[in-house]
Amino acid sequence: MIEFQLDETSGVATYLQLVQQVHQALRMGMLEPGEQLPTAQQVVAKLVINPNTVHKAYRELEREGLARARPGLGTFIVRAPAGTDPATQARFLATMTDWLRSARSAGLGPDDIEAIYRTAFRTCFAEGAA
Amino acid sequence: MIRLSWLQFRTQAVTAAAALAAFAVLLAVTGPHLASRYAASGLSSCHGGSCGNVAITFLSQLQTTNPYPVVYLLGIALIIFAPAIIGIFWGAPLIARELETRTSTLAWTQSVTRTRWLAVKLILTGLAAMAFTEALSLMYAWWADPIGKAIDLGGSTSLFSGGRFSSLVFATGGITPLGYAAFAFTLGTAAGALIRRTVPAMAVTLAIFAVVQVVMPLWVRPHLITPVRTIAAIGPVPGNSQAVGLDYGNLTAVAVPSQPGAWIISSAAVSPAGQQVTELPFACSPGAGAKADNPGQCLNSLGYREAISYEPASRYWPLQGIETGIFGVLSLGLAGACFWRLSRRRS
Amino acid sequence: MSTVIEANGLGKAYRRNWALRDCTLAIPEGHVVGLVGPNGAGKTTLLGLATGQLTPTRGTISVLGAPPAASPAQLARVGFVAQETPVYARLTVADHLRLGGWLNPGWDEELARRRISQLGLDPGQRAGSLSGGQRAQLALTLAIAKRPELLVLDEPVASLDPLARREFLRGLMEAVAEHATSVVLSSHLIADLERVCDYLIVLVASQVRIAGEVSALLASHCRLSGPRRDPGTLPAGQDVIEESHTDKQSTLLIRTGEPVHDPAWTVTPVSLEELVLAYMNPANEIPARRPRLGVAS
Repeated sequence: MIEFQLDETSGVATYLQLVQQVHQALRMGMLEPGEQLPTAQQVVAKLVINPNTVHKAYRELEREGLARARPGLGTFIVRAPAGTDPATQARFLATMTDWLRSARSAGLGPDDIEAIYRTAFRTCFAEGAA
Repeated sequence: MIRLSWLQFRTQAVTAAAALAAFAVLLAVTGPHLASRYAASGLSSCHGGSCGNVAITFLSQLQTTNPYPVVYLLGIALIIFAPAIIGIFWGAPLIARELETRTSTLAWTQSVTRTRWLAVKLILTGLAAMAFTEALSLMYAWWADPIGKAIDLGGSTSLFSGGRFSSLVFATGGITPLGYAAFAFTLGTAAGALIRRTVPAMAVTLAIFAVVQVVMPLWVRPHLITPVRTIAAIGPVPGNSQAVGLDYGNLTAVAVPSQPGAWIISSAAVSPAGQQVTELPFACSPGAGAKADNPGQCLNSLGYREAISYEPASRYWPLQGIETGIFGVLSLGLAGACFWRLSRRRS
Repeated sequence: MSTVIEANGLGKAYRRNWALRDCTLAIPEGHVVGLVGPNGAGKTTLLGLATGQLTPTRGTISVLGAPPAASPAQLARVGFVAQETPVYARLTVADHLRLGGWLNPGWDEELARRRISQLGLDPGQRAGSLSGGQRAQLALTLAIAKRPELLVLDEPVASLDPLARREFLRGLMEAVAEHATSVVLSSHLIADLERVCDYLIVLVASQVRIAGEVSALLASHCRLSGPRRDPGTLPAGQDVIEESHTDKQSTLLIRTGEPVHDPAWTVTPVSLEELVLAYMNPANEIPARRPRLGVAS
């Protein structure tokens, strides 16, 4: 069974961290369809967080179609997330590379670019959706 | 709530039971000997005026034979002080300790209202207090019965002089210990409820109770029932059994004729002119002549009489009842004060 | 959704001092509510009113739909853990559990015993010789095993070391997960609240400064930084909670219902701690919510 961690300093909402860890585990094959996710009680006993946070995370996974709650039994993984297809990935890679080039020629150094990237990343993922 | 009250009261109950048991053993060991001494003195079959001397002999011998004087005084002291100890150690901490240590926030947020919490604690501990003190009193009354009988027959020594109406003995016999115990206990709890700190509540309880124990016999008890007032001839006069015996030191009466066991509240010799006198007039003083041989007859012939204010023996139980009733009412009032102070309307 | 605590204009005064004033709240059930504020702000007073230990001077309060502590049945629905978690020093741990069973019709003996053994407490030990953390856990066990619908805790972890604090909150959260109990928890330790609370009330100087679900509060506040500007120039609907200026730069913490479009500002989210500190700062004047205008004037 997956064991959740909590990064208090990341600025990412707790429930999102849980969702992301499930995505990660599915991607790495550590979680498979049919497996049960830890109960709210188990998560709370380990992480000392509000059980509602766990419920919120599991509802999000249900909304994404990755998990299903079975009353009285628990929450189970029903399928693995669709990997993004290589074409989409290549397209974004090209856009990113162009952007980086123009940022560099505008005089931005690696630290500036890193700062801009982190701010944008945080804003985007902290809101849950762009 | 009953079981919780017992759980918190356990230690105090055990201490009281141990004290009661120790005292009972002491009385059980010495009591039968006292009874047999009384039987041997012949007082039980004695009637008439000569008993006084036999009684005095019996009591004088008793006074110098240990352990009887010690047990006698110990018993009176225990019964007098027991209510005060109960008030201080059972009463004052009952509410005050819970408020001081803030365990009240634990006790009053379970599923029991404050009223029920207080009612059960007051009733259980109060009943225990009354039972304890009355048990002391009854045990002691059994033990001291021979002494009381001897005093009633006219005996009196420096130590054994108090009949059942005397200041110390009245409050330790009959049913008044119940009243004193209830009063001291509720006084302690009320002090604790109002002052909210244990040690100051203990001090206040002790102070107020001590004052009451002095005030009651001195100023209140004599007026509970209006005393009988009478003017009597002074004796001994030959052929006059109604004559009053006097203490010729201050001319107060030592007994009321045909009122055995009466409680003399005040008495004074009155001159023919109506003035109170506390000394023998010159004509009857020793050395004044043949009349001085019989000071009583002398006073009588000069027209002196004795004015006495007393309660007859038959008023013993009514007085007991009234005094206990007064303390009962005071106890209810004090208990009510506790409920009032703790009620949520006041917080 | 029903409310666990509803207060309307609630106030409590001692002689001429108002310990709590104009308190109006509607706390929904099923939440862990954090009550934050500096010492003396009125947190203990509010919790005392909620548990029926105090009676209001003004206004009303109802808990689980009924007046607090109005009857034994009502008392049974609310569990309370007081500050410093008092216990009977001369009674043992087992005695305390018996106390709970005698005084509470809803007592869950099995739950109480399970918790005590999980915590490693010796039932025969006198409560007075327990450590602070153990005493707090005992008090929490008594409150939880009563199976209340609402648990009220007054700064239960204030004087505990970090490990004991974490263990206490762990036990509390496990109980919430198991029994779906609503919790109101007062504290001045914001870090603990961030982990466990999903509803927040900030109480300063006897008055409620802000109350609401944490996710909603975080979504409706943000930090603006940019070139120095007069906050009065902000559009309606953007209320300034806290401001600081240097000669070149302004940083504002604002409350708003809508995204900020002004490109001069850099917008960053606000953490719960920053939000609480801003509302707790008595120097910050909290503007009243202005009604939304349909058309810009």
